[in-house]
Amino acid sequence: MLQCIFFLSDSGEVMLEKQMTGHRVDRSICAWFWDYVLSQGGDPSKILPVIASPTHYLFQLFRDGIIFLACTQVEMPPLMGLEFLRRVADVLTDYLGGLNEDLIKDNFIIVYELLDEMMDNGFPLTTEPNILREMITPPNIVSKMLSVVTGKNSNVNTRLPDATASCIPWRKTNMKHASNEVYVNLVEEMDAVYNRDGALVKCEIYGEVQVDSHLPGLPDLTLSFSNPSILNDIRFHPCVRFRPWESDQILSFVPPDGEFKLMTYRVKKLKSTPIYVKPQLTSDTGNCHINVLVGVRNDPGKTIDSITVQFQLPFCVASANLTSNHGTVNILADKTCSWSIGQIPKDKSPSLSGNLVLETGLDRLHVFPVFQVGFKIMGVALSGLQIHKLDIKNAPSQPYKGFRALTQAGEYEVRS
Amino acid sequence: MAPPPAPPQKSPSPSQPSGKSEVSDLKLQLRQLAGSRAPGADDSKRDLFKRVISYMTVGIDVSAAFSEMVMCSATSDIVLKKMCYLYVGNYARCHPDLALLTINFLQKDCHDEDPMIRGLALRSLCSLRVPNLVEYLVAPLGSGLKDGSSYVRMVAAVGVLKLYHISAATCLDSDFPAVLKSLMLTDPDAQVVANCLFVLQEIWNLEANKSEEASRERETLLSKKLVYYLLNRIKEFNEWAQCLVLELVAKYIPSDTDDIFDIMNLLEDRLQHANGAVVLATIKVFLHLTMSMNDVHQQVYERIKAPLLTLVGSGSSEQSYAVLSHLHLLVMRAPMLFSSDYKHFYCQFSDPSYVKKLKLEMLTAIANESNTYEIVTELCEYAGNVDVPIARESIRAVGKIALQQYDVNAIVDRLLQFLEMEKDYVTAETLVLVKDLLRKYPQWSHDCIAVVGNISSKNVQEPKAKASLIWMLGEYSQDMPDAPYILESLIENWDEENAAEVRLHLLTAAMKCFFKRPPETQKALGAALAAGLADSHQDVHDRALFYYRLLQYDVSVAERVVNPPKQAVSVFADTQSSEIKDRIFDEFNSLSVVYQKPSYMFTDKEHREPFEFSEEIGNLSLGQESVGNAPRYAESDKDLLLSTSEREENGGPSTNGPAASGYSAPTDYNSSLVSLSSQTQSETAISDPGMPKYTSQMTLAIDDLLGLSVPAAPAPPSLKLNPKAALDPGTFQRKWGQLAVSISQDCSVSPQGIAALTTPQALIRHMQASSIQCIASGGQSPTFKFFFFAQKLDGPPLFFLVECIVNTSSAKAQVKIKADDATASEAFFGLFQSALSKFGVL
Repeated sequence: MLQCIFFLSDSGEVMLEKQMTGHRVDRSICAWFWDYVLSQGGDPSKILPVIASPTHYLFQLFRDGIIFLACTQVEMPPLMGLEFLRRVADVLTDYLGGLNEDLIKDNFIIVYELLDEMMDNGFPLTTEPNILREMITPPNIVSKMLSVVTGKNSNVNTRLPDATASCIPWRKTNMKHASNEVYVNLVEEMDAVYNRDGALVKCEIYGEVQVDSHLPGLPDLTLSFSNPSILNDIRFHPCVRFRPWESDQILSFVPPDGEFKLMTYRVKKLKSTPIYVKPQLTSDTGNCHINVLVGVRNDPGKTIDSITVQFQLPFCVASANLTSNHGTVNILADKTCSWSIGQIPKDKSPSLSGNLVLETGLDRLHVFPVFQVGFKIMGVALSGLQIHKLDIKNAPSQPYKGFRALTQAGEYEVRS
Repeated sequence: MAPPPAPPQKSPSPSQPSGKSEVSDLKLQLRQLAGSRAPGADDSKRDLFKRVISYMTVGIDVSAAFSEMVMCSATSDIVLKKMCYLYVGNYARCHPDLALLTINFLQKDCHDEDPMIRGLALRSLCSLRVPNLVEYLVAPLGSGLKDGSSYVRMVAAVGVLKLYHISAATCLDSDFPAVLKSLMLTDPDAQVVANCLFVLQEIWNLEANKSEEASRERETLLSKKLVYYLLNRIKEFNEWAQCLVLELVAKYIPSDTDDIFDIMNLLEDRLQHANGAVVLATIKVFLHLTMSMNDVHQQVYERIKAPLLTLVGSGSSEQSYAVLSHLHLLVMRAPMLFSSDYKHFYCQFSDPSYVKKLKLEMLTAIANESNTYEIVTELCEYAGNVDVPIARESIRAVGKIALQQYDVNAIVDRLLQFLEMEKDYVTAETLVLVKDLLRKYPQWSHDCIAVVGNISSKNVQEPKAKASLIWMLGEYSQDMPDAPYILESLIENWDEENAAEVRLHLLTAAMKCFFKRPPETQKALGAALAAGLADSHQDVHDRALFYYRLLQYDVSVAERVVNPPKQAVSVFADTQSSEIKDRIFDEFNSLSVVYQKPSYMFTDKEHREPFEFSEEIGNLSLGQESVGNAPRYAESDKDLLLSTSEREENGGPSTNGPAASGYSAPTDYNSSLVSLSSQTQSETAISDPGMPKYTSQMTLAIDDLLGLSVPAAPAPPSLKLNPKAALDPGTFQRKWGQLAVSISQDCSVSPQGIAALTTPQALIRHMQASSIQCIASGGQSPTFKFFFFAQKLDGPPLFFLVECIVNTSSAKAQVKIKADDATASEAFFGLFQSALSKFGVL
């Protein structure tokens, strides 16, 4: 089990240490770790997540400039360590409204309190944000206002969360709400790879059903889809009952309060993508001419928004001169070139063209950049998944129900 | 947002000089506030506490303010309480006397109305970890376990484990394990049940070696009744507790096939859990349950495929990494399993390189007739990748697939296209591959040589690639018109060649070329031998000398030695034995998989073992009472960890021994000859006395080159051991660190022995009968680890030290012997082996 957790800044400074067991882990392990990071090139995001040091086994997670480092000396499931650190990062992001060095340093008391409730003696307890939120009030403006108004000056709820006594661990027993509403969002990400010949090598959708529920009492919800058969690799929030899904593909559940991920899924082997990106590189005698065309391939029926194309200029490029007929082109210091297009105009198709000057001695370009494409389409789930209906039982009055859909690019790459 | 707790001018460095004066300043302010009941006192206290804790957090020692902090702790404010608990927990250990002051208010808080405060106080009380305060723990823990609030019971359960680690005797005497057991079976709150299970597992595991009763208790944790009880409640547990239960179920031995199917049906839906750790733990249960049922096992593979692929694709890159390591293991056992899902392992541009590397390994492993074309096409695209290390890896992957014999024709074409890319690292990697390919498929030499011949050796700089190119020049010099001249120009630049590997290959290639085209190469060979003889690198010098004398002796013999007709290599040696792979598979869902080593190869000591270790040494070392306290063992534990790594480093070169010794310095041969002749009575096997000295060296060297081993010395007169040998742990550890491993071997243990080896003690008593004493032991079924020692009966006090790892599931023992007198270790090994083989038989 985990013996100790350290938070390190991205310059290797120890920000916080939380010992879990009687076997104290000396801080010197962080120095060892940092030496290791430096020996691997100094970029914490490129370090193996599981490392063996001479004295401990380390799990590390790099998130928003903070390294979460956990130490253990016993054999344990690797995913348990990694998942736990990920939850710590998620919960802290949620509580502090972001994650960076200053936020942690300003709120380390809260961080200690949270770690205390999330893990005891190296064994993870609860990591469910809804429950933690009831034990330790997040340091937001609202609670600050409240404390001023009520004169209660504490960020710890004096009452224990009811959920700890309820048979449904993710929900407290008697929830009272002024609002009576539930929102279901389909959020999909499209992963696609076009190879050098322009053929679609891989195209699939990773989707999430996000629910934001503010319902009183103990509501019992059923959600059904018109075409559940297209879904693959489904994973559920613990609140979903397994049998109804097995027999009728119906999601039946008692929701936690607030936002949560009801289900994730994958839709495989899609045939087409909404936009095309066609890069062309021709090189001769130390120059490389580049031309990238972007356009609508398959109209999804809604506006395609926030289109971006990003690529890394090869290191052998000495200088680059790129222009576009639509949108803005930026070349960053690390030779990342980003072209933000926004929406595709009606009258022309956006194109980027320019010249790359290669380093002296090089005749042709041998290394080819990969173009990463971003876009966003509101109101459409590109997988074609459709919600059939949402029924709510046990509700005192009929609540407001809202549905939304969104598709955006995930790992969408075009090779040249 | 709370204001920054630390004053802005404060630098985070712990060695900051102003730290000390600020601490005393804090102390003063705390003291002023201690008795204050004024309104607003709590607020100022809170600010001060925050500052103290922020110092603590950045590593400044604020333990000096301990008594002031305790004085201020009488408060009703829960945040203040929490900060105070945190502070006290951190510093109580170094101030055991002052910690006594905190007991009072913590005990009072344990009776607070608010369950949250009761829980927190109890948790802090148990976290003090001061041995002489143990007596104050028992009562609050006892009432905590009976508390009406599940939160308090949950804390109290873990508190029992903390108590156990401080003082095992107190914990057992108060009968806490029995209370936990009944709580585990009856408590309505799942988290309490989970915590009880966690605590009981750890306590019984540690106690099992000491008492029969404890090991029986440990067995009952795996009883059908308990396992089903937990499984039926599994949905009530949170995700982490589910992992714990699943881990337990994976150890459960089902009674019949119905049992297996019941469990699998109960757990089926766990495969769709959102938490990857739960999914992987479930998969482990499935794999273990069906291990003996071949066809079901295959179905299980099919069933777990989709969840695993989802975990790879949808999670963070850290998760992908951990899961890919497991997939890699599975694919080794069932290569067909993922052959149609190869697209899942295509690298994304944004994947970190550790994930890409594993994906490339997966692609290599699942390539077969049906998908090789697509996979190789994809891999070839990576060769032009911006990420150079990955480009290299992917070229290597293409080569590995070629060596697997699928679609070689097309792959050779692709590789040759790489050579035409004229990118130095691509060329370099490809050359190495082409060399390996030619060793396996000599029939392709014609096509390859045509392209390789066009590569200018000036464009190849990397030693490995250069060595490969030179190897091809030598091997196929008859087909390459320029070969002698390219070699010649390379030899001319001998002095600029830094890598010894390249120079060694140059010598051999010049020889080979000479045998095929003597007139053209003679001059180059002469130059190479001369340069080699003058070389400062020992191996290069020796090889040149060896070739020179070989040529002098007889050219045709030299050709037979240096360039014999070769057989195509059919299989390249695998780096990991199948036994090790099986071992790793047994440890599915553990760090072993990520490290690709079974745990005995990297976990030397478990964190709880120091207790056991000290116990053992305390019992067994003669004339030395209570060898010490915990810190000392923490230290010695570390020593052992370090010494193993040294040991492995020492062991490394010696395993390469036979190959390397062929080229080592002649003086070595002399000395080894001398030492051999002094030991052995019959030298005839080695040298004919009439022959000149260097010939005997040569034959020996050639023998070694050909892999013939030097005849072993016969055993010296039988060895007797001192039955009353004594060695204290310190000396043992020192010796263990100093001495090199003289024998490292596996031997088998009889089935009776395995049956008798339920606890380490059984073997220890048995070995004592053969005058071999145990100094420390540890581990649990199926792996036990022992450190033994023995002393030679007469003569100076010479010791033999043994590390013995017994695996009961494979019925094998790994024995490593270190000895003061290495020459006697063979005889000692004989004694040790015979003693071990008698274990359980008598």
